[in-house]
Amino acid sequence: MKPEQIETYRTVAAAAGVLATLGLFSVLYKENKFYRLFEHIFLGLAAGWSAVAVWTESLREIWWDKLTGVVETTGVVTEPGRWAYILLIPIGAMGYMVFSKKHNWMAKIPMGVLLGIWSGQQIQSYWTVYGPQMKQGMLPIVPTAFDQVIARSDRTPELAAVTITWSQAISNFLFVFTLLSVLSYFLFSFEVKNKALKQVNVAGRYLLMIGFGAIFGSTVMMRFSLVIDRMYFIWDEFLMKRVLHIG
Amino acid sequence: MKKGGIPKFVIYALLIACCSIPLFFKIPIPNKPSEPSVDFYKTLSALKEGDVVLVGSDWTGSTRGESKGHMKAILRTLMRKKVKFVIWSTADPQAPRAALDVIAEVNAERVANKEEKYQRWTQWVSAGYYPNSDVAINSVAQDIKTAFGARRENDTTGVQQPLFKSPVMEKIKSVTDFDLVIDVTASKTTDFHVQFISAKNVPLMFAVTGVMGPETQVFYNSKQIKGFLSGLKGVFDMEQMMEKGVNVKDANGVAAVSSDRVPGEIAPLPGVSVGQGTKYYPTLHVALLLMIVMIGIGNYEMLAARKRQGGKA
Repeated sequence: MKPEQIETYRTVAAAAGVLATLGLFSVLYKENKFYRLFEHIFLGLAAGWSAVAVWTESLREIWWDKLTGVVETTGVVTEPGRWAYILLIPIGAMGYMVFSKKHNWMAKIPMGVLLGIWSGQQIQSYWTVYGPQMKQGMLPIVPTAFDQVIARSDRTPELAAVTITWSQAISNFLFVFTLLSVLSYFLFSFEVKNKALKQVNVAGRYLLMIGFGAIFGSTVMMRFSLVIDRMYFIWDEFLMKRVLHIG
Repeated sequence: MKKGGIPKFVIYALLIACCSIPLFFKIPIPNKPSEPSVDFYKTLSALKEGDVVLVGSDWTGSTRGESKGHMKAILRTLMRKKVKFVIWSTADPQAPRAALDVIAEVNAERVANKEEKYQRWTQWVSAGYYPNSDVAINSVAQDIKTAFGARRENDTTGVQQPLFKSPVMEKIKSVTDFDLVIDVTASKTTDFHVQFISAKNVPLMFAVTGVMGPETQVFYNSKQIKGFLSGLKGVFDMEQMMEKGVNVKDANGVAAVSSDRVPGEIAPLPGVSVGQGTKYYPTLHVALLLMIVMIGIGNYEMLAARKRQGGKA
């Protein structure tokens, strides 16, 4: 392809992208056929892309080449084929038996293998994930540097590792209180008679809500980022650069 | 059609205006990079020429607004430090294409700036896409030679060669031979990296979407990861630190970006550093301001409506 042809192709592709963006955003105003058209195009493209990518990026090299072997253009066999890889087809196909009333028991075999692998992995990985988090949850709540409210700017990393200032102690206390109250909220989910425990559970519920609020705030910001990116694509990448050739 | 007193199309027109107009202006935003961002950049900056990094690219067009900025900032840094890298994906079949497009963009930028093009095969390779994230990440953690063993790439003469013959993979015999593992992700691949890669004591870092920020903070607090970039703020932090350095003082003794997590200073990276984050972050502030105003108007309308119906405000 000549460079000018590539540029034309890119402009057409960007124009299609702009149309698709406008089409998909049009649902915000109201449900319409323009939106439905682009929704179906998007789903079709994603499915088609995935099918091809699974073959070219994954199955061909990981499975097909191992089954058939690799022969260089010079005719030299660099990888001999291993016929046993063909056995993966019936194992995989058994999964589709879930659609047959008579033979759906066969689908349970590969499913069972997958679940077994997953369970084994989880047992192995549980401590890797939660061990350090449990250890880090046990924070000191008593200050050791009684003369310091906040950390001095000139303290060394070695000193920082062993001194707990007042502000750190308060921060740690809040962390530990949150941890325990949220745990208590979930552990004592039955009717609690103890007044103090009841109050801790209520605090746990409110702290959880604060946490969810923070997550929701992040979610809103993320959605805005996506809208801003689409606007940038339409105004800058397409209109300014491709149509008006500015910048 | 109407929500309270404002027609719906007016709200959307305002939203489009707030998300578009600020993109065309340079709006300075005072910023102090978050601690995880500083640690992320500090770890990247400590890499030396010839080090090898495994970069997971587990994002697609759906999170381009954040993840592309992360990816670009990371790749710009790695390339300028002449660090070799291996790209791979597990979350989505579209992910490898997204990563390759960013590499092409950064390379085009380098050529325009008269920097050397970063060469595939000798300086970076792609290990492609692996379905089923947890199994794929586990197999890389257990035996990378087998996991990536079937992969082939074109060498500099265009002949297909096994991936492990590439100069990038010269010293890689297990995942522990990587100097750093980074995952740019919009999915749960963070959990699988912590489960399987952190168990091998390999330095691990994430660049995640804003939604994933709070949950990723847990891994950072418990020191399971070295640092992370979260959402658009993470992109902006990175670009600021790349552009201005960290703790680098001007003639008046003032540092544009300062952090007590960096002993000494990190010099600014030469070349183009600002981009998506610097453009989008001020726009995000305007959009959030619109949202706050709309929440205020919405509440006022609700109270006014109650009053009109004779109820208590």
